[in-house]
Order: sequence, then structure tokens, then C-alpha cells
Amino acid sequence: MAKPKVAICWLGGCGGCDEAVVDINEVILGVASAVDFVLWPVALDFKYHSVEGMKNGEIALSVINGNVRNSEQEEVAKLLREKSQLVLGFGSCACFGGTPGLANLTTKEDIFNWVYRDAPTVVNPDGNYPQISTRVAGKELTLPEFYKHVHALNDIIDVDYYLPGCPPPPHLVMYAVSAVLENKLPPKGSTLAPQRALCDSCKRNNSKPERLAIREIKRIHEVETTPDICFLAQGVICLGIATRDGCGESCLNINIPCRGCFGPVEGVADSGAKFVSALASILDVQSDEDIARVVDQIIDPVGYMYRFSLPASTLRKKQG
Amino acid sequence: MLRRATLSEYKPKVVCFSCKFSWGYLTDEAKLSNEIENWIPIICTGKIDATHIINAFEEGADGVLILGCPEGDCHYQDGNYEAKKRVYLLRTLLESMGIEKERIRIELSTDPEGKRIPQLVKEMSKGLRKLGPLRKAETADKMPKEVIKAKGGK
Ligand code: SF4
Ligand code: SF4
Ligand code: SF4
Repeated sequence: MAKPKVAICWLGGCGGCDEAVVDINEVILGVASAVDFVLWPVALDFKYHSVEGMKNGEIALSVINGNVRNSEQEEVAKLLREKSQLVLGFGSCACFGGTPGLANLTTKEDIFNWVYRDAPTVVNPDGNYPQISTRVAGKELTLPEFYKHVHALNDIIDVDYYLPGCPPPPHLVMYAVSAVLENKLPPKGSTLAPQRALCDSCKRNNSKPERLAIREIKRIHEVETTPDICFLAQGVICLGIATRDGCGESCLNINIPCRGCFGPVEGVADSGAKFVSALASILDVQSDEDIARVVDQIIDPVGYMYRFSLPASTLRKKQG
Repeated sequence: MLRRATLSEYKPKVVCFSCKFSWGYLTDEAKLSNEIENWIPIICTGKIDATHIINAFEEGADGVLILGCPEGDCHYQDGNYEAKKRVYLLRTLLESMGIEKERIRIELSTDPEGKRIPQLVKEMSKGLRKLGPLRKAETADKMPKEVIKAKGGK
């Protein structure tokens, strides 16, 4: 029997997700003997045109990491969608836009001006900006078009399964791989990670007082936090209450609060909004002045609450 | 979704949540709701989740007005304070996203006959007219010329 064909591809991301695939160590060898890789730019030298020559649905699974910010990424995403039976959105960038999605707070113009004109290391006396098409010595050179916004993968193509994380942890990658190979997949559209919130499996959860009451918000580098005590009880913002479980508490284990890379819990579209409600209810202040004083201690609220998910946030979508 | 032909025709859409314990409990609710579009009497402003407010914006609201009981007078002890904290936090978040904080307002007082509700909605609507619709962030026309020219590629 022919082995199933698998593509792994990297769009607008940092490369960490591709690393995470390799991080499943020798298991990857087992995977490699069970499947035929037909595209994996970071590891193997296949070309897009070989994928273009395939029949629709010929690829059993495409694992796509990274978001979509330019026309090349859009083309590759659409090509893989057409040729694949299943598409797995791999990592926070693919699932919700990821940290690069914070660029949606900045215009394309500002980004270009900084990168090609204003950054201190730039020398660009002719004021050249990237063009999608330029003629040089009678030849046409092309570049992908840089879009105005960073998009989560499902803005561009239909995604069958999601595996969040920045990057996804090895045990969930293995779970996803075996679910596909053994054909034990949950319903289409599922996220291949637990449904509950991170707090549920956090060891610090037992230390939570009956009623959390924050009167000061501190940043993690400003205080020496006590391990084993809930960060919120120590006045440090931890997004564990509004974040999906499944990462293995990687940050909490090294005494760093959760920043939300696993995205919202099951059934919630906008993790930031959920966190706003949760945080507001544990602020132990009543007067307008006190509320303002404490809330204003949050430096960069949008960066805190949508660090990994701005392109997928309801309001940002609405804004375009 | 609200259809908007031109900016001059533009009528801001205000969604108003009001707590039944201090706003309009002596009024004919059906009559008042005929007069005010998108009026949602609720039991306790503490019930309003940030998600409800964001959903209202998603459904086409340009502003959200929340009317709760006077401070210290919540039927459920502190629902109005909860709402106040949420609103402040949400306004801060919206502002850092580039959305005007004036799009969410909360007023904590009492008005059993609900006479002020239409007036407050009107006032808010007037303020929103100046802001214009909560619309798509327009960035294209600010691009350097040469980049605009370079469209269509292939
Ligand atoms: S999800 Fe994280 S690790 Fe993966 S590509 Fe994005 S930034 Fe990199
Ligand atoms: S808020 Fe953070 S530290 Fe506290 S229990 Fe939840 S995940 Fe753990
Ligand atoms: S603790 Fe939070 S930020 Fe850290 S890996 Fe887990 S989900 Fe991601």
C-alpha cells in the first residue's frame, strides 16, 4: 500500500514550529517511515511545482505553521489546501496570527518606513521600497506583495484541525501525528488539545485564596514571585484563567506567568475579552480613582491580552 | 449589520443595557422599547461580560451604554462595581487597539420611570456621530506612492 503523503510548510512564522516537529526526536524517524514527505522546505529539498503537479487531495495531510502576511504565503496556503485531504493549523501563528500578529497595530506604511528608511542601521539614499515587480536589465524581477494585515490561516483557507502553542509541545505533536496516522481524529474543526483552562492543571491553583483580591498589579521583573503560589494572588498577571490547557505548564514551571500562547479555551472566540472579565472581577478596588490607578498599571494592555491572538480577535477583525 | 449609505445619513447605533432594579421599573417597558432601538433591560449590570460588549460591536453597534444602580445600592451587593471595573478595563484595552474609549459609557444612578434613558441614548449617539462609525482601519491611502503603484504583480 502506498504511504500517505504529508507536507509540512512554514508561512509567516519564526521557524520555531518547524523545530518543534523535529523535537519529537526519534519518533520523527518512525513518522518518516510511515509517510512520504512531499514538501518540507526547512528539511528537504522539494519544490512547489512538484506539489502543483499533484492531483487534488493527493496529499493526506498538510501541516501548516505561520500566518499569512504576503501573497506568496497566500498562494502556498491555497495550493496546499487544494492538494490536501486534511490541513492542520500548527502553532499559534497559524491558529490565531501569533506574536507577529501584533504588527496589525501598525500600518504597512509605518512598517515600510521604519524598515527601509528610518531604522538607524538603514542606508537607503534612493529611498527604494520593495516593489512587487521591477525591471532590471530588461528582465522582470518580482517579489511577493506585503499585505496590510497579518491573517490567521483560517482567514485564507479552510482549516480542518488546530494545534496551538508557540510552539506546540512534543507530546501534543505526537498525539496529533498518531491521531492522523491511526485515523482517530475528532470532528473536523477541533483543536487537538484539552478543552479546559490552564488553571485546571496548574499546581499553583490550590494556593488560590477563597477570593482573589488584587490591589496592585506588578510586572514579573519587578517582584520576586514565590513559586507554587498563584501569580494572580501575587498581583502578577497570569493568563492561565483564559488560556487553553495543554502546554505542560512550561512557563509556570520556570516561574513565569502564562502569556496565553495556547489561545482561548473551548467555545470562546476572543480570549482577551474573557480575560478582561476575569481580571476585572478580582480587582479589589471600588472608587474610580483606585480602579484607574490599578488598571493603568497594566503597561500595553493589548500586547498583554492579545499577545498571540490579535488577528483573530473579534474587534480587530471588525476594524479590518 | 447596519447599512450605511453615506456619512451624512449616518445614524450611530447605540446598544443600551440597563439594570431593571433602578432604571425604568415603573415604566411601560413595551412602550419605552418602541421608543429606543436596541434597549436591553437586564437584571444586574454585573451580568454584563466583556464578551457581550464586544459582541455588540461585532453586530454593528457603534457604542454601548450601560445603566446601573447607584454606587453602594446594587441589589446583588456589588454587580455595579463589577461592571464599572470591566468597563474601565475594556475602555483601556480598546484605546490601546486604536478604538475610542467614548464608545463605551457607564452611568450609575437611578431613574424608576426611565425618562432619562432615551435622552441618555440620544446624547451618546450625538457624541458618536462625531466619531463616525466603528469602521475598518484604513491604511492603504497612507502608503508611500511607489508602493501603491506596485499593485497586481504577476
Ligand atoms: S507559533 Fe511561535 S514558534 Fe510557531 S512560528 Fe509562530 S512564533 Fe514561531
Ligand atoms: S492564574 Fe496562573 S498561576 Fe494562577 S492557577 Fe491559573 S495558571 Fe496557575
Ligand atoms: S504557560 Fe501559557 S504562555 Fe506558557 S507555554 Fe503554556 S500556554 Fe503558552
